[in-house]
Amino acid sequence: MKIGFIGLGIMGRAMALNLIKGGHTVSVWARRAESMQPLLDAGAKAASSASDAAQGNELVISMVADAPDVAEVMRAVAAAAEPGLIAIDMSTIAPAAARQVGEALAAVGVDFLDAPVSGGEVGAIAGTLSIMVGGTEAAFAKARPAFECMGKNIVHVGASGAGQVTKAANQIVTGMGVLAVAEAFAFAAKNGVDRSKVREALLGGFAYSKILENHGQRMLDRNFKPGFKSWMHEKDLNIVMQTAHELGLCLPGSAATAQMFNAMVGSGMGEEDSIAVLKLLERLSGQE
Amino acid sequence: MKIGFIGLGAMGRPMAGHLQRAGYQLFVWARRPESVGDLAATRCATPAELGRFCDVVFTVVTSSADVEGLALGQDGLIEGMAPGSVLIDCSTIAPDSAREIAARLGEKSIAMLDAPVSGGEQGAIDATLAIMVGGEAAALERVRPLLECLGQRIVHIGPNGAGQVAKACNQMIMVAAIQAAAEAIRLGAASGVDCAKLRQALAGGSAASRVLDVMGERMVKRDFAAGIEARLHHKDFGLVLEAGRKSGVPMPLTAAVSQQLNALMAQGWGRDDTSSLLRVLEIR
Repeated sequence: MKIGFIGLGIMGRAMALNLIKGGHTVSVWARRAESMQPLLDAGAKAASSASDAAQGNELVISMVADAPDVAEVMRAVAAAAEPGLIAIDMSTIAPAAARQVGEALAAVGVDFLDAPVSGGEVGAIAGTLSIMVGGTEAAFAKARPAFECMGKNIVHVGASGAGQVTKAANQIVTGMGVLAVAEAFAFAAKNGVDRSKVREALLGGFAYSKILENHGQRMLDRNFKPGFKSWMHEKDLNIVMQTAHELGLCLPGSAATAQMFNAMVGSGMGEEDSIAVLKLLERLSGQE
Repeated sequence: MKIGFIGLGAMGRPMAGHLQRAGYQLFVWARRPESVGDLAATRCATPAELGRFCDVVFTVVTSSADVEGLALGQDGLIEGMAPGSVLIDCSTIAPDSAREIAARLGEKSIAMLDAPVSGGEQGAIDATLAIMVGGEAAALERVRPLLECLGQRIVHIGPNGAGQVAKACNQMIMVAAIQAAAEAIRLGAASGVDCAKLRQALAGGSAASRVLDVMGERMVKRDFAAGIEARLHHKDFGLVLEAGRKSGVPMPLTAAVSQQLNALMAQGWGRDDTSSLLRVLEIR
């Protein structure tokens, strides 16, 4: 397939590389021109703009930071749209914002899929991302071969926006999960119990989770390098809380967790992995 | 001095009445003309037209977008108000919005004061509002006699936006106090205690507060008619949490209370009084 790819950060670069490896013809564009070079070395064509990345392609994919960036990129895509083009945004943005982008593209005859991912840099490089997709069945079917180069667990969840709803739900579970593991470790330590033994014991029971296994180990190693930066988890939980506010939805656990990540950003830990919430807990309880 | 007034709701209407009784000539613009009622005022076709007539314009509306539209939108105040005139916005909006609107008006030498109020409808009727002002001190001194018609405590907090920051702080404390009162009364009721007596006893001690007086009484009497419509507090909590987020200030209690407000909205009680937080605790 002929695919345009916009946004070549940590995630986007790895995903675009996997599309090239999968045999697709890929043209790339990024705001910072130097970030395009590794892809050009791997055989991608350079597009001169976001519009150019859409032109002549069957798919155009964006992987950028936030909703305003997605809107801007997709405006450019819409301006260059040819009939039959499918536009896919794999960034994490608010469901309402994704629906708006979808409507704007539909007006010029472009199918839109919101397809945010979970699995981080490791999953992006390995091509094992979870991809949660909102949009029409027909567009999903056409885009599926591209998704299969980037991810393993690919689920068409529902109509436009459903992918972002799913990603927000994912961030609720992972955000509270990280905080839960950190609190359990703080609890064990304050009681004078070896937290690595606690982790080992819990892994065999109902408290087992990937977060306890992977993030828990990194907490024990005190390896706070990202991974997934805490400011990004804060941003994602803000999407959750704003959506809850608009809908009249009571999410007390998410609200408390969002404030912990807010505190991390405020105390200068925004660039550290979200598991550094353990350090914040330790400070609050005088455990340092 | 000619005074413009936009926003004749539960708060704005009594405020406009006080200004008129103090002898000021009043000009109004209303999205719904019927809201002017029997107020003796000159009706204007657009905010811009009202701006052309007036030395000082008050706005008392709901959201940041409302104030932006009135001030800067098509046929907005900015198109009519003369250099040297003053816009006093008594709405509760985001501090950032207040700063942006002030900057745009400032380019045309129109002064703006963010002057949100606290005290509710009763405070507006009794002219006992607390008014927290952001903007230039010189502009405040020019309009201080007008504000003194509306309230007794007028505090210049700082530059533009500072009034809205103060109001955000006010809302955090107030609604958290309503939630605390609701939880206390709920616990009392669930423990078989007479809530009227409970409230009476607390009112004499360290937990005494205006909120416990006013909202506590509504809860005891189960009189949930607004008062202050809960949807407005719900709106304000969105602003407050956004401000906390921008500053990186953790606000765990505010966040917890905001979720109770979300539940209240989900029950369809947004137009009832915020003392309905008690009813949220009774859901089972």
